[in-house]
This record gives sequence, structure tokens and C-alpha cells, in this order.
Amino acid sequence: MIHVDPRERNFIIGTTILLLIFGTAVLVSSFAFGFQVPAPVERLDPKLVATPGQSPWGDPVEERVRELAPNKYEVYILAQAWNFQPREIRVPVGSTVTFMVTSKDVQHGFRLDGTNVNMMVLPGEVAKLTATFDEAGTYNFVCHEYCGVGHHTMYGQLIVEP
Amino acid sequence: MAATVTKAGTPYKSSGMLIWRLFFGLFGLMAAGVIWFSTARPITVLPRITLAPGFYLSDQNGERFTSEDLRGQIVLYNFTYTNCTDPCVATSQVMAEVQSRLLTVDASVPLKLVTFSIDPDRDDAAQMAAYSTELGADGSVWHWATGGAKQLKSVIGGGFGVFYDVREDGRFKLDPAFFLVDGSGVIRAEYRTEEPDIDIIMRDFGLLAAEVDHSEGIYRFAYEAAHLFSCYPR
Ligand SMILES: [Cu+2]
Repeated sequence: MIHVDPRERNFIIGTTILLLIFGTAVLVSSFAFGFQVPAPVERLDPKLVATPGQSPWGDPVEERVRELAPNKYEVYILAQAWNFQPREIRVPVGSTVTFMVTSKDVQHGFRLDGTNVNMMVLPGEVAKLTATFDEAGTYNFVCHEYCGVGHHTMYGQLIVEP
Repeated sequence: MAATVTKAGTPYKSSGMLIWRLFFGLFGLMAAGVIWFSTARPITVLPRITLAPGFYLSDQNGERFTSEDLRGQIVLYNFTYTNCTDPCVATSQVMAEVQSRLLTVDASVPLKLVTFSIDPDRDDAAQMAAYSTELGADGSVWHWATGGAKQLKSVIGGGFGVFYDVREDGRFKLDPAFFLVDGSGVIRAEYRTEEPDIDIIMRDFGLLAAEVDHSEGIYRFAYEAAHLFSCYPR
């Protein structure tokens, strides 16, 4: 056995245990709890994103909640200082909803209460996450990245109808 | 860690010391191998995005056409309708261009193109056959298919995740999209634009064809490692 100073050995053991704990936490959270890491899926020009015909975020607000198939929806949400468009989303209970969020000005956030949808919204990038709603009710979403004086007015609701 | 250094010429004090050296040596080699593999990327693969939907439709000859008929083949999908005047016209032109370049791909499995019509009310077999002939479609390579509105919605909207919706004037709102699906029915690439880079589509056909040809025997593990380390084309 190699001779290692006892204090040094304690540090080696301690850091190894920490590494194992954090490694296990990452694996457990991703596989057992199904945490998803929001990844930028697409890059686009934030100046053009709200222009009609350029992207789904340029479509009229009422067409941004799209039914792909029964109980499968995608929502194109545009974050801007200081609101979300659309700010009210309605889907039937049991729906799987994919949120596609982008910003046309500064950095915003998108956090949907009661789900694991929690994303940073950057201009020029699309934040995408999917959630399934098995319980009817009202889910609030807020901007949780400070974005200016009107930051506190940046919120909306997802209404899951029975 | 000064104690780990043995003086030149002195033999190992015990077999325990040798085992530790071997252990650290092997560990170092493995770490070096992993770093080399993930940076030099000797193999490039396309990501396994998700399972493509199964379908049971009918083709431009009025015959049954299912996802099983395409097993083991590399297929590029897209969606249109023959009365289209919007971006979907451009996507059909892209498919025609890809068809003309398929022979340049070195592949031992068949490469296919499939276009789904989202308008089954107007696009019967005869209409699809006429439209595809006009585009120069080779019926043995480029299949056209459609089916019941409900199934189309669940295959195209639910399975591929492509939104379409009929408008009052009978036209469709349809997002342009192409999907490359491998022989196991897994979506390996998606191009959500009306004017994708055709060179990239041909490259991706080539990558999938190479994977079929080269991922045999022990190389299967090298391909799995390429997936593990996300060795995707840049
Ligand atoms: Cu904000």
C-alpha cells in the first residue's frame, strides 16, 4: 500500500464521496424523477421573430396554441418586456404540451408552477420543454429573470380544462 | 504523493504497489482513450431523436403502404398536398432534387423518399400519381401516400410533431419539415425549413448508410460509443 499522509487521505476520501453523491444525484434526478435540462433547440434572429410569416411566433396570438393531434399541443410563447404572448393558454385535461419560448428583446425566464418547466429565455434562442397535465386547474407562469421595471407584470396562466 | 515514487533501481516493495501502479496506469489509459474519442471523433453519427410513427396508408397506386414496408431502408419524409401553392411547393422541389442525387450516396440498403398528402379528400391515388409524375418522381424510389384524416393527424401531428390545419378557403396551414428515418424506424434528423441545405441531407443519408455498412461485429461498440459521446456532425 502506498503511504499517504492521513490528512491528505481524508481529503481524498472526502472529495471522492462528494463526487459520488453529486454524480448519483444527477443520475437519480434525470432517470428517477425525469428532470429535463432545457437545451437551446434552434437559433433565430430576435429582430425578425415576431414578424408575420417569419416564424410561428409571428402568427396571430390566437393561433400560437396549436393542436398537433388529440391531447397533444405545442405553444409558441413570445416573451418581451413586459409580458408573455399568449398570456392565457387553454388545453383539455390529459394534454401533453410542448412550450417553445423565445424572447424578442432581453433575457427573460419562464417558470410554470406545479411542473418542472423552468427555463431561461434568451433572445435568438428557443427554449423548449414538454409537460403533461393530468389534473385540471390553473397553472401560473411567471418571468423569473429580472428584466426591468415591469418585470413583476410578466406572468400568465395555463388553464387545464376538465 | 511523493511516497509513490520508487527510487531508480529499487524493486517494488510488494505486489500491492505493483497493483496500484497497474490500476493507475490502466485508469490513465482509459481516460486518455475517452478524451481522444470524444475530441478526435473518429466516427460521426446522427442522434437518435425519437421513434418515428407507424402508419397504414395507401400509395399513389392505390396499394397498401405501411411503415413496415420501409423497414431496413433509409427514408426521407415530407408532407404536402397537390393543391398547394405555399411553401410546400418548394419542399416538393427539394425532394425532387434529393431524388436526383440519391445515386451519389454509397449505400448497400435502399434509400427512399416518402411524401404524405395531408389532403385525403382531394388527393386520391390518381391525383397523387399525376402530381408525382409531373415532379419527375420515380415510383420505385419516391412513394406518395395518404389515408384517413384521423390517422394522418395522429401520424403527422402526433408522431412527427408537424402542425397543419385546414383554412376556410380550402388551403392548409402547414409547417415545412423533412425527417430522415433509419432502418429501425428511428428519426435521426429533422429539417424544419422550406429550403434545407440539400448537401447536408445527402451527407446525412451517407452517414446513415455508413452506419449500416460499418457498425458490424466489434465496430458496433465503437458506434455505440460515438452515440454515448454525442459525436454528431457539426
Ligand atoms: Cu421578463
